Amino acid sequence: MALQVYTASLLKEGLVAYLTLDNNLPSWTTDIHQATAAIDDSLEALKKAAEQSEQDNIVVAPYAIDVIKTDSGIIAATKREQIRATGPTIELPQENIRVSRKAA
Amino acid sequence: MYQYSDQDQQLLLERVAQFRGQVARRLKGELSEEEFKHQRLRNGLYLQLHAYMLRVAIPYGLLSSDQMRTLAHIARKYDKGYGHFSTRQNIQYNWPKLEDVPDILDDLAKVEMHAIQTSGNCIRNTTSDPLASVARDELEDPRPYCELIRQWSTFHPEFNFLPRKFKIAVSGATQDRAAVAVHDIGLRLIKNETSGENGFEVYVGGGLGRTPMIGKVIRSFLPKEDMLTYLEAILRVYNTLGRRDNIYKARIKILVHETGEDKFRELVEAEWEKIKAGGLYLKDEDFAWVKGFFKDPDYELLPDNDTEFENLLLSNTDFARWVDKNIELHKQSGYRIVYLSLKTAHQPPGDVTADQMDAIADLADKYSLSQIRTTHRQNLVLSDVKLQDLPALWEELKALDLATPNYNHVTDIISCPGLDYCALATARSIPISQAITERFDNYDFINDLGDVSINISGCINACGHHHVANIGILGVNKKGTEVYQLTLGGSAREDAAIGKIIGPAFEADEIVDAVEKVLSVYLENREDPEETFLMTYRRLGQAFFKERLYG
Repeated sequence: MALQVYTASLLKEGLVAYLTLDNNLPSWTTDIHQATAAIDDSLEALKKAAEQSEQDNIVVAPYAIDVIKTDSGIIAATKREQIRATGPTIELPQENIRVSRKAA
Repeated sequence: MYQYSDQDQQLLLERVAQFRGQVARRLKGELSEEEFKHQRLRNGLYLQLHAYMLRVAIPYGLLSSDQMRTLAHIARKYDKGYGHFSTRQNIQYNWPKLEDVPDILDDLAKVEMHAIQTSGNCIRNTTSDPLASVARDELEDPRPYCELIRQWSTFHPEFNFLPRKFKIAVSGATQDRAAVAVHDIGLRLIKNETSGENGFEVYVGGGLGRTPMIGKVIRSFLPKEDMLTYLEAILRVYNTLGRRDNIYKARIKILVHETGEDKFRELVEAEWEKIKAGGLYLKDEDFAWVKGFFKDPDYELLPDNDTEFENLLLSNTDFARWVDKNIELHKQSGYRIVYLSLKTAHQPPGDVTADQMDAIADLADKYSLSQIRTTHRQNLVLSDVKLQDLPALWEELKALDLATPNYNHVTDIISCPGLDYCALATARSIPISQAITERFDNYDFINDLGDVSINISGCINACGHHHVANIGILGVNKKGTEVYQLTLGGSAREDAAIGKIIGPAFEADEIVDAVEKVLSVYLENREDPEETFLMTYRRLGQAFFKERLYG
């Protein structure tokens, strides 16, 4: 089985979040590098914490994703989850128009 | 344009207050996500790949300048400074926080806007011709009929839980600029040559998605007085017999297909007989009342020429190109219709920044009777610009990066948000559209190609309308890699057709070359420059293009 982390959407903001467990205390971060990764049996603790967070109305629809550990940290295994983790792969319009106005 | 009555405004404010309560209960944990999901979807609020997404209705694509300023304000205050105009003439915000959405809806309500009928299995926002009331080829303004449909369908108690979403489009012109044949119901205003009366040709069962179909004409002429009773009859048949056991077979197109066109027509006509004389029968006073909101403005009597305009046309190539591509004749002498291109290499198709929205509102006030239209090809229109104002307007649009001369040409690409934003997408579409735009960003080439459409969807749901593009691109995920299928020969116009997949898919770094190859096959084999891509494709056939693309 692959190394996995738990991800969900934050209820209030809707933003993509990842579960961290610090001494069994759960919290959610938008930075995948800070997510707690686990494999096989140790995933169960993450699953329970994620489900509890959903019941506590902190997050919506948690699920596990495959990740890969690299020298620069955890990255998601699939393209979809990589885009979820880092945001759109295109420049957002407001930033772009500002750049072009400066250039002009 | 239509102005809310006190009753309309009260209804809207009560709806916002109701949703504010639902959001508060959700945040307190009194509603589960499953319970809340149905409520938020009734108010245009989705949970997408990165965040919530709010889709705001723009009835039949018509906006006042004040409404546009409110859209800018929402983009700036609650989102990331931009919005995305969709293929159904609506606008989407990609980053609102749940707790802010009731305030957004309050702000929208102040300018008679909302997010109702933009999600869920109801009758969605009715779409129409962006050139309604100003086009030279128009038989009759379709907007009064759209407004009647809006009022009939909003919160219609019988049709609030249909088997699936339901989309209606209305066109009143010879040219189809509303893609009526690929809607659940398409209404096309036509004249009855015997009686001289205007009425509707009624298409049912068109649609895109994983099972694309062209709508069937189930009534060749429907008197306009019967419009709502007939729509009610169609919806009743669909609501009763449409499949609820399989989401992929739940649209009316599947019902029409499985029932058979003739049998479906019989069912509708039988239902209609029961209700055609009922309360929904439209009377002269109903038309008089609604048409009162859509009267022509007091156009000035102007000559259809202007010295400054003509001098600039002769002396400035860039201006001449913009006029050639983005300006259409107006029914009124001395006026023109101006397309604002939202298709540049700098921004995703359909995206507009808050600054641009404010500026467009100002331009509408200054040059176009304070109104803006949205198009299903994800552009904007200033519909009533004086010929003499075109030079000044062009200068202002250029400064805003809204004057790319490409309307209905190869870089005027429809693109869904794709995997960059959408939870359902399986591949990215915006980067492909940007790569194509960058490759072909050459006026002479664009001009030489002439009228050709490219549409891109990031999954089989086909929100980018790839099936009805001359060149359609469908992104799919194949064993973890984004690959792109090409379809050729589609059309969303009066000669509506579904494009056919031409062969094996291309990888992301191959698809632009493939499109270029298809275009070169066209250029090398057209009979003359007047023969469009679609005409050449239809003359030579799929096999001809396939052999040259893959051979």
